[in-house]
Amino acid sequence: MAKLLALQARVLGALVLRETRATFGTSQLGYLWAIATPAAGVAILVLVFASIGRLPPFGSSLALFFATGYLTLEFFRKLSSSLMTTFNANKALLTYPIIKETDTLFARFLLISATYLVIMLIFYSVLIIFGLADLPRHPDQLLYAFGAIALLGFGSGTFNAVVLSQWASWQYVEQVINRPLFIISGVFYIPSRLPPEALAILKWNPVMHLIEWVRTGYYPNYDSMVLSRTYVVGCSLVLLLLGLAGERLYRKKRVSV
Amino acid sequence: MIELIDVYKAYTLKKVRKVIFENLNFRFEQGRNIAIMGPNGAGKSTLLRLIAGTEQADSGRITRNVRVSWPLGFAGGFNGSMTGLENVRFVSRIYGQDTEWVIDYVEEFSELGKSMRLPIKTYSSGMKARLAFGLSMAIDFDCYLIDEITAVGDANFRRKSKEALEQKLDHSRIIMVSHSLGTIKSYCDCGLLLTHAGLTYHDDVESLLSAYNASCA
Repeated sequence: MAKLLALQARVLGALVLRETRATFGTSQLGYLWAIATPAAGVAILVLVFASIGRLPPFGSSLALFFATGYLTLEFFRKLSSSLMTTFNANKALLTYPIIKETDTLFARFLLISATYLVIMLIFYSVLIIFGLADLPRHPDQLLYAFGAIALLGFGSGTFNAVVLSQWASWQYVEQVINRPLFIISGVFYIPSRLPPEALAILKWNPVMHLIEWVRTGYYPNYDSMVLSRTYVVGCSLVLLLLGLAGERLYRKKRVSV
Repeated sequence: MIELIDVYKAYTLKKVRKVIFENLNFRFEQGRNIAIMGPNGAGKSTLLRLIAGTEQADSGRITRNVRVSWPLGFAGGFNGSMTGLENVRFVSRIYGQDTEWVIDYVEEFSELGKSMRLPIKTYSSGMKARLAFGLSMAIDFDCYLIDEITAVGDANFRRKSKEALEQKLDHSRIIMVSHSLGTIKSYCDCGLLLTHAGLTYHDDVESLLSAYNASCA
């Protein structure tokens, strides 16, 4: 058992290093871009809203409000779409019987989560240092929220990967589902203030709950009328279960190189 | 020792279903070097991949209690945009070897020199094959699975490969797919004949070769 765990750790470690190299290239600039891209997204939102003279929907900082929404959404989206293509990207690796397809999935998940942890730490720290945000009020809740984003992203990404391996058109369907998330997840508004008819529909979107969770953790008095932690964790577990069961079921059907 | 129990394997492609193995049972004994011969399309490479574990049987079980290599002989596992060095380091890491030692060995063996620091996609197929073979010789396995390997490189490299493989035979066994009678005679002491009719075991190479020739005729 200990031997198996050591083997698993070794394979995952090597895969994460390889994946890091493949994602960021050899230059330090690669890491910089990984951090700059989501930060630029938040900056553009702030610029647009500030230029039309809007006040922050909540709190006193536009940057903080958008960061809690946009960084959460991007972390989820990155996991969901990158994990989807893992099986195809890593076909050559299956030459080595010691590597299982699920290992490549785990390795990518670990790398993306670690990257977003760094991105968020840097981004929030910068906001705090420049006086654009206070310290988070409930750091423990923020930590749980981070875990919840990772879990939903992992579940969704695993599910996507398995469906894609059986049905190549799924990548287009996934795009259709993924695109409107920016509008319907509450990135730039407060879901609780939506008309009840709209909210009744939109609250089925688990990503909205993630954003609400992050804001509840960051702000001292963000009262969410929608947030259900059970719902979003439940969604994640169902997706993850379907994904992993599907992987097990179709493992033999995937023709290796 | 490797054991195949009730192995069933079929491929379905474009709605054509082709059964490769049905009810396949075989026990690879420890201490024997085994040749696998047979006509094209009989499933030799598939059998090797099943033994390696790079491919799964549709039903049945395959047990191995020794360290089995990946099927050597083609350079499919390299990442083209990574350098030779990075690829070697990666494989060495997953197999838990001393990375520096493996790099030194492969550099010396493959004679790639500065090319080790270039991406694999700039390599010729001969260079890739040399790297792949050097790498597989650098890692310790109890059983090496070899798929038609001998036609790689120039005369000098072939001699070196032969020496390295013979050295391995002191501690490890091989299972080898080949059409070359000479290769099989020099490495193997028993063999399997795989034809569309099924699998037959031959306890010595002579009987394997005569059965193979009979099946081809």
